[in-house]
Formats: sequence, structure tokens, C-alpha cells
Amino acid sequence: MAEYINLDGQNQTTFTIPFTGDDENDGGTETPFPRPLHYEYDLPEGEKLRIDAYTAAWRKCLDRIKSIVRALHAPIASEVEHAIYTSYDRALPGLPYPEIPVIGITDPTSSSTFLDQIAVLTDSFDLEDTSNITAFTSHLYPNDCNNVMSAMKALISGFVNRPHILDKGKGRSGISLANYDIEILSAWYTAICNTYDLTEQRQPKLIVLLHDFEQLDPLVIQDIFSISSLYISRLPLIFTLALSSPASPSYLHSTYPRSTLALLRFSNYTVPSGAKVLEEILLQTFFDSSFEPDIIIGPGVLTYLADYYNRHNSSVDAALNILQLAHLKHFSGEALTLIVRSTPAPEALSQDTSLPFIEELLSRLQSFETSSNANDRNWTKQSISSLIAATDNARTDMYSRARRLRIGFGIVKLIQDFMTSQGYKGLDWDNPIKGIGNIDVMISALRGGLGSDVKFLGTMVKKLKTSQLGTLLDSMHAFFNSLPLVVRSSEEEARMNLVVAINALPPRGDDDVTGASSQIAANFADWLVKYLNGLLTPLENVPLWDIWYTGASLFPSSLINPSVRATVVAGLLHPHDFTDRKKDEARADPALWELPDTSILFHRYLDSGKMLNIYDWFMAFQQELETQRKNLKERASGAKSRQSSPRKRGGKGKTKEKENAESEEDLERWQLEVQARFVRALQDLDYLGFLKHTGRKADHVQRVVFDMHD
Amino acid sequence: MDASTLGYEELCDELSTLIANFPPPFIYINDTVCPRIAGSIVATLLDKIERTDPGPSKRVHFAKVNAVACFTARVLYDSILNALTKWDPDWNDGCANWSLEGDTQRYNENFDGFIHGLRAVSSYLREKVKGKGKGKERMKSEVDDVRFVIVVERAERLKETLSELLVPLTRLAELTQLDLSVILLSEVRWEDIRPPLGASPDPYFIDIPPLSKEVIVQRLTSNFTPSNDLSLGPYHPSLKGLYSHFAAVLCDVCYPFTHDPSEIEYIAAARWPGFAQPVLDQHQRSLADDMDLDAAEESQLRPPPEDIRMRLTRLFNASLSAALEELYPRLTNATDWAAKNKPEPNILSAQPSQAARGKDQPGKSSEAAALALPRMSKFILVAAFLASTNPAKSDIRMFGRGLDEKKRKRRARKTTKSGPTKVPQRLLGPVAFSLDRLLAILGALLEENDVESRLPAPEFSIPGEYTDMETSRVAVYSAVMELTSMRLVHRTTPGDKINGPPSFKCGISYDVALALAKQLSIPLNDLMWDPA
Repeated sequence: MAEYINLDGQNQTTFTIPFTGDDENDGGTETPFPRPLHYEYDLPEGEKLRIDAYTAAWRKCLDRIKSIVRALHAPIASEVEHAIYTSYDRALPGLPYPEIPVIGITDPTSSSTFLDQIAVLTDSFDLEDTSNITAFTSHLYPNDCNNVMSAMKALISGFVNRPHILDKGKGRSGISLANYDIEILSAWYTAICNTYDLTEQRQPKLIVLLHDFEQLDPLVIQDIFSISSLYISRLPLIFTLALSSPASPSYLHSTYPRSTLALLRFSNYTVPSGAKVLEEILLQTFFDSSFEPDIIIGPGVLTYLADYYNRHNSSVDAALNILQLAHLKHFSGEALTLIVRSTPAPEALSQDTSLPFIEELLSRLQSFETSSNANDRNWTKQSISSLIAATDNARTDMYSRARRLRIGFGIVKLIQDFMTSQGYKGLDWDNPIKGIGNIDVMISALRGGLGSDVKFLGTMVKKLKTSQLGTLLDSMHAFFNSLPLVVRSSEEEARMNLVVAINALPPRGDDDVTGASSQIAANFADWLVKYLNGLLTPLENVPLWDIWYTGASLFPSSLINPSVRATVVAGLLHPHDFTDRKKDEARADPALWELPDTSILFHRYLDSGKMLNIYDWFMAFQQELETQRKNLKERASGAKSRQSSPRKRGGKGKTKEKENAESEEDLERWQLEVQARFVRALQDLDYLGFLKHTGRKADHVQRVVFDMHD
Repeated sequence: MDASTLGYEELCDELSTLIANFPPPFIYINDTVCPRIAGSIVATLLDKIERTDPGPSKRVHFAKVNAVACFTARVLYDSILNALTKWDPDWNDGCANWSLEGDTQRYNENFDGFIHGLRAVSSYLREKVKGKGKGKERMKSEVDDVRFVIVVERAERLKETLSELLVPLTRLAELTQLDLSVILLSEVRWEDIRPPLGASPDPYFIDIPPLSKEVIVQRLTSNFTPSNDLSLGPYHPSLKGLYSHFAAVLCDVCYPFTHDPSEIEYIAAARWPGFAQPVLDQHQRSLADDMDLDAAEESQLRPPPEDIRMRLTRLFNASLSAALEELYPRLTNATDWAAKNKPEPNILSAQPSQAARGKDQPGKSSEAAALALPRMSKFILVAAFLASTNPAKSDIRMFGRGLDEKKRKRRARKTTKSGPTKVPQRLLGPVAFSLDRLLAILGALLEENDVESRLPAPEFSIPGEYTDMETSRVAVYSAVMELTSMRLVHRTTPGDKINGPPSFKCGISYDVALALAKQLSIPLNDLMWDPA
């Protein structure tokens, strides 16, 4: 079983995940779920319950994000599909020779998935119904394209290896065409058209999908293009390229010669990417009033996510990784999270083993009771069922709070969008100069920092013209109407207020002489500010809030993006932090002699000047090993029964040393061993890149790592 | 005169005479400008000779293959033999090659087999001819009356892919003892692909000179194929006069830059629909205006008068060179260009000075696209650009921030020095740099320009410590690899070499680096050793 993992540790940069289970049945063993820091009050089957809750919560979140991404891709996918099918109809009259249609898809992040989506959309040859325009696809991967022969072979076999559509006649391999000869494709295509009796318009297109186009050898692809160009009047080939480099400067134009480009008709499509995608995902997953995630991701994680996404890796996969890790951390950091979706049944809780769990739950609930409601304090007297009820209440309470927050955010965003559409600056969100994006606004909404913004919006609403106010009220009404029924019913009062305000407004076009409408606007704005402030309360003051909300807890960034050098140095300085060690000796700093050889050598390395004399280094190392030997001997004599520390490496042969005076031979052997261990450790450091061989000074190496403040 | 052979009459005459009489066994045709057109002309010519009745000369059979498509010897043999016999491999037959009936010999195994194949083809074709002319009692001297012509296009590729076949191919007539002529067609001169040691015989040379401007205009004009339907379109028969005028103007603009007729045709195809559009629009409008007249001859589109022609020329002259600039290097394709550069609806009635210059700035799109990179990748690209442009020994002076503030002393420019002027490194191309140097420059850039946008990290108290952590993070290394795979940074050391740091070269231009630096508010010119 895994030891506890403290994901919050700032100094700890790496965690070991010990291997459990044997080598034979890899598939059967399940990876253990990390155990929370405080698991004393865990339920016996707590781990399984948490895994289930985690799986369900993450699945819900993942499905939502996937559908959002699919929706984001859908328009461009259909555009590409259309471009593929019409590519031969678009040719201009009067061109000197037919060009090969080439469609580039610029997708800086997940090129293959999108291309596969395209492939699924377009590979549509239907045996039953040949009346539509159809297409065949063939995939080319970088591994296929080491030379022209293998690339052509892959391209052709991708099309012709479809025995269910058309079987190949028997023939002797020697006297028939080579399988990399494009004539084969031509013969196959003719046979297809004849067999299914396809007329000119319904002849299927042949789509070649080139994956990771930048990885393909340009010389090979040039030849493929020029061969295809010879056959373009017979074979309606269409090349689709997955480009991960930016659309400009275009990779195709900078890499391929003009003579090749002249054969192509290149058009480019760009899949949406960048900050807008993340914004859209977060907005629709965590700030959409029609969707309820099980776990509400707090500002701590969101801040890191936004930073990582913008700074290092703008791909949906990176965002998914971070969100999944945040889920995982949430469920593995707190034993009580097993109640996220549902509270265990009374039978399970009434067992003796569940007592610590109940006590913990109770004390958490009570800590809130004392602060908010002191009436009902005799929890212990009450039955388990009422505890369950209280937990369920807390859950409902939390979710409705979160829902209200989302509604509040939705209204603020609606008013802000309205202001922008009317030409006002509004709250000045999404201002790249100030470096504020919508994500920052989401984060500050969770932190409860939108108060001044709401106040400002109220002032702006007050100053709106009658017609503008009317439009705003209408769109707000539409917003409420678009909410799911359950949510809408809880906001009945707000809707009433809205309707009243709408009805009170003078009809459009009337000149406002009386100032009645400005009175209405002022009233409405006052109510709005109060209402929004009520909605946008932080989630941290609800009982058991930390079960459903990750709050301000930080993301374990070193799991995703550790600093390599810092980790290596930390590993050499504190090797025991990285291994599984007993809990009782957890905090005691081991003496230098207790460390592995490489670490000892590294410590001595840090004490040196710019140049290291190897001999001096060796002497210092030897000295330390003498101490080690002496101490081990003492320990062995002190507790004979106990095995000597297994963590020392290279210690073979020392444990059995006798206490009596060493013989000459033993001493010699020991000297040899020290030398061998020194050379071994030196090699390790050299391999890690800590040494620089300058050759300027005999027996000296240069030190390359300085300023270790650890 | 056939329109497609315009300008190539000499080639046609010479070649047809040769083939008809005593063709040299090895002919080398060199067209430095547009071998594609020469290839198609040779093919049509040979096809014509093959079809016509031989008369006193021999029956000619020809095969035309492309050396790029025939990248292995086997494909070359198959293509030549199948083409000579006009054999079409059938899918249902297992794509079998041509072979004599009952013969199981392989002709594509090696050159020896190929020679046997050629002989078999020769006797087969002879038999076929004999069978046809049985009744005529042919004379004995005409028994071997087949003559092969084998044309190899893009012959320069043979030197790379099938260099061992170059010599036997040029001596094919000698080796097969058949009446056979091999024509190599290439844009490269024979001297550049000739096998060493005089192993090949000297060919009969035919050099095709570049076409003159007048001939290109004639070719363009003759390519104007009037559309058959009577609907209004840019290829309406009445517009032929305007088209020849347009062709002349276009050639005036393009001829100094390219002599390739197909390139000029390409540009013409892109520009002509827009050029003719105002005339068609005007006609449409006049039709709509006098609907009531309803005279048949009135509705006919008539060739536009001279003044309209002049105005069109003046209006479109600027766009012709714009088309050349964009279409010749294929920055965009003709279809898209034509769609983007449609003329204004009533351009003819507008003042010439108001004519819109429909040129969009390419710089804009490059900035927008570069935005898609993550922030750290942008920093890495700028650092890579600096590392590739600045000499390594200048790094301390450019990026070092010592206690004494006499920093960034750029090399003094010596202008008085005579002799060849030194070309700035920026124009000489990138130099390779090691990963360590890249990371060091990256650290300097981050420390100066990125501190404000970072997440707060109170645990780093020493100046520069945070940057130090940042530059050694996994994501930085993976970003470098990612940029390498996008070919924005080129790796110059092999991937399997683990000894020592890998080295790279920058793959972006000065303009892109400048745009990136602007986004990151890095003063790029201040950091360059040899600024623009």
C-alpha cells in the first residue's frame, strides 16, 4: 500500500509511486488510489467509494469538455469536408494544367484527432448507396515515408486494401505491377468505377491524409506530389495535411520549392486554439448555469491552469490533464470526499469500524453549527439517519450556492456583453493591454472579488437610456427563461422583479419627459446590485464546503512541470526524501555518512572551488567512507540481530567484517573498494552533467553548478 | 498550325524528320524553361507519327515515361514495356504486366530481362503488323519494320535514383540490336548528368530556346477557348479581341520575370475573369436598362470599344504585378486569388484615382498566426533567433548585467574601412548554437521581460532564482522539442547523440522574430549585436 502523499508540499518536487503487484499479470493489478494525509477516520471500504466518486465526477466533467471541444471543432470540420468534396469543382478555367487540391489543416495542438475526425467524416463509400458523392481515405504517417517506395506503397495500399469492396484478381507477383506502382491505383480505380457503374459526377474522391506533415521528409513528399500530378486527370486525389506549425510563416511555402508548389492548389484552414478555447471550456463547464459539475474547481487550480495554458502548452489535452489531476488530488487528499455524490447507507455507517468517520463528519458539521446556528447542538444524541440527512442538506446547500454563483456570474457577463455591444467600455474585461482575460474574472468571481464590479455595473445601468434599458431587461428575461426548470424556479422572485420593471417601463419611442423611467432604472439598478451581491457570495462558508469545492488550495505544479535541475540537485542532496522510508524516522536529517556514495561526493563537490582536484576529492570521499564503515561496524555490533541498513549501496562484504584487527589483505581490498566506489560515483555525476573536462589542468575538473541555497 | 506547338515548330520539324528517317539512337532534348510543355509536344508529335500510315518508313511505337514516377528499375521496365504495347493492367487480372502468351519469363527482374522484354515486344508487334497486312505480301526487307522511341522525362532524376541504368539506357539500341531511339528530356544540361569516363555515347542534342514575348502572347491568345454556351462569361467569343489585348499587357508585365509560358498562363487564368467582369457587368446593366427594346442583336455582347479597353488596362495594371508577386511564388492559388481580387462592381464609372488597391498586407496575418504559440515558446523563439544571429562571444556584453552599469556596449561601427563590406549575420543565415546557450539567453530575456506576468512565488527570495527555476522546467525542454518538430527551430545534431548538449539553429526570419518580440515587449534591436 502506498504511503501517504503530501501533494501540498512545496519543497518536495518528486513523488514515488511504488510498484505493487508482480510482473506476471500486469493487466490485472489495479493502481492503488493514493491514501489521504489523514486517513485515521476513513471507512473500511473508503478507498473504493472514493474511486467510484472520483470516476463518476471526472467522467461527468470530461464528457462535458469533450462535447464542448467537439462543438468548437464542428464548424471548421464541416468547412473542410465541404472543401474536400468541392475541390475539383472549384478549379478556374484556363489553367495551364490541372492542379492537385491540397488542404492544410493548421492545428497547433491536437492534429491527429482532428484529422481522424475528418477521415471519419469523409471515408464514406457505401456499397448499398452509390448515389452520393463519396470518398476513400488513405493515411500516411512519418514512419511510412522513409523513402518514396514505402510511401507510395502505404498510400496505394491504404486505398486498394478493401476486399469487401473490390477483391483483387489472382496474379503472379513477378509478372504483375509492383505494389508501389501508381498504375495499380489507377487500375483499381477504373475497376471500382466499372464495377459499381459510377458516372463522372459520382466517382469517389481519393483523399490522402498526411499526418504530422512537418515530420515527413520533404524530398519524399515532393516526389509523391509530382507523381500524383501526372495522374491527376485520372485519379481525383486530394491531399490533406495536418500542420502543427503556425499558418504563417507557412511551413509548406518555406520548405518546398516553387516547382512543387506550382503543382498544388493549397488552401489552409485553422482549427481554433489558444486562450479563447480554454475560456470557452471553463465558461461552459464551471460557469454555465445549465451544467453542474460534481467538484467545483477553485481559484487556486484555475489560476495555475490559466498560467500553464498560456505560458507553456496551449492544448486541450494539457488543460484536461490539469483538471484531472485536480480531481484526483481532491479525492485523494481528504477521506470525507467519499460523500461527494451520495452519503453511505445507514447500515454501512452503523458498524463499529465507521465510528471514527462519523465522529469526524460530525465535528466538521458542528464546527459550522456553532458559528451559524447554535440551537441544535445535541448531535450525538441523534441518530445516524439525521446525520445523513444533515450531510445531504449540506450537499444540496452547497450545490445551490454554486448554482447561484453561476447565475450571478452569468448575469454579470450578460450585462457586460450588453454594455460592450452598446459601445461602452463596461468593466473593461478582456483587455489584453491590462492583461485581464475572462478567466481572471472567473477566478475573482470565485474569490468573491466582483463586488466593486457589480457596484459599477449598477451605476451604469442607472444611466442607461429607456430603450437600452428595455433591451437589457428583455435579454435578462430571456436569460432567466433559458435556465433549466429546477434552477429557474429557485429564482422566481428575481424574475418577478424583472417582469415588474419591464412592465413599468414606458413604451418604446415615447419621449421621456417625466423622468419616470430614470426612476425605474435607479430602482432596478439598486435591486440588481443587491441581488447580484446576494448571488455572488464565496462558497467557503457552507458546512463541509471543502468536500465539493477545491477552494484556494494550490495545484501540485511540480507533478506536471517540475524543474529538472532543481529536482536532480534535491535528489542528490536529500536522497531519502525520494524513497519510501519509515514514518518514525521521517524528519530526522540523516548524517552525511548515511547517504549514498554519489550524494556524499556531491556534498563534497559543493564545498569546493571552481576547479576540483580529483585527488583531494577522493581523499575527502575516502574519509567519509571510513566514518561510514566505523559507524556501520558499531551499529552491527550494537544490534547484531538487526540487519544493517539496507539503504546503503555497494556495502557488500562489509557486514561480515570481523571486529578484530583487519588483516593486510582486508585493508587492501577495502582500498580497492573505496576506489571503485569513487569512480562509480564520479561517473554518475559526470553523466548527470555536473563535471566539465577542461583539460587545462592535470587531474582537475571544472565545477558547473554553483549557488546552491539548500 | 496547331496552337499547342506555337513556338516549338523547329523542334517538331527536326524531331519528326529524324524519327521518320534514321533516328540517332540517343537524343537529348534540353529545355531550361518549361520541360513540361516540351514533353507534351514530343508526346503529341510521336503519337501523331504512330497513328499515321508509315508509308515508306517504319512503323513507330513510342513510350513516354517520367523518371520521377519510375523511381525503381522495376517500375521503369514495366512502364516502358506496357506503354510500347499499349497494355492496360487490369485489376481483376491481378494487374498483370504485358507478356507473350504462354511465356512465363519475367521482364522486370533486371536489365537483361528488360532487353529480352524489348525483343519480345518487337517480335510481337511485328507479328501483329504482319497479321494485319497478310494479303499484301510484304517485301522481305520490311520484315523488321518496327521502330521504338522511348522518351524519358525529367531525365535528371535518373542520375540520383537509377544512376546504374543511365549508361545502358543511352546504349539501348546497341544492346538490343533493335531499331530504337532513346530520347532524354530534361531541364538540366547533358554535361551535368553525363556518366563519368565517357561510358555513354554523345547524344544528338536538341536545345529549345526560351520563347520570345510575341510567341508567348500568341500562345496565350490561341489558348482562349470560347465557351460554347451563349451565357455571359469571361470566355465569351466576343471578348477574344479584348483577351489578346489583355495578353499583350500581361506579358509586358511578366516577361522580365519569367519566360515560362505556363506560369504566364496561370496568372492570366487568375486575372482574366476579373478583367472581363466590368465589361460583362456593363453589358448586363445596359440589357436591364433597355429591356423594352428587346432586339436580338442588341442583347449580343459586342467587343468593347477602344476607350473601355484603355481604361481597363489602366485600372488593372497595378493588379497585374500584384498577381505576379503573389502567384508566381504560389503564396496563394489562382482560384483564391481570383476570388479575392474581384473588381469593384462599378469600377468603370469610378475615377481612376479612386480605384481600390486590393492588396492586403501579408504582415498582418503572420502576426495573428504567431499569436497561437504559448508565451514560453515565443520567448524561446526570440532567444533562438538571438542565439543564431549574435556571435557567442558577445553574449556577456549584450545580456550581462554586472554591478557596474556600463552594459550593452555594442561593437563600434567602422564605416571608413575600405574593402568588401561585411554582411550582417542576420542576412547570412542562422548559425548553430547549443541548448545551454539558448537557455542562458532565455533566462536573460525572462528576467528582464517576464517578471511581471508570473504567478507569485514567495518561496523564491534570491534575485533570479525564480527565472532559474523557470528555465530548467520540463515544459521548457518539451517546448524546444515541440518547436523543433514544427521546424521553427532546426536541430543540427542527430537525435541519437546523447554526448554533450544538442545544438540547434533558428528557423524563423527577422520579421517574425521582430513581431514576436513586439508582442512580448522585448527591445529586439537593442539586443542584436549587429542590428538592422
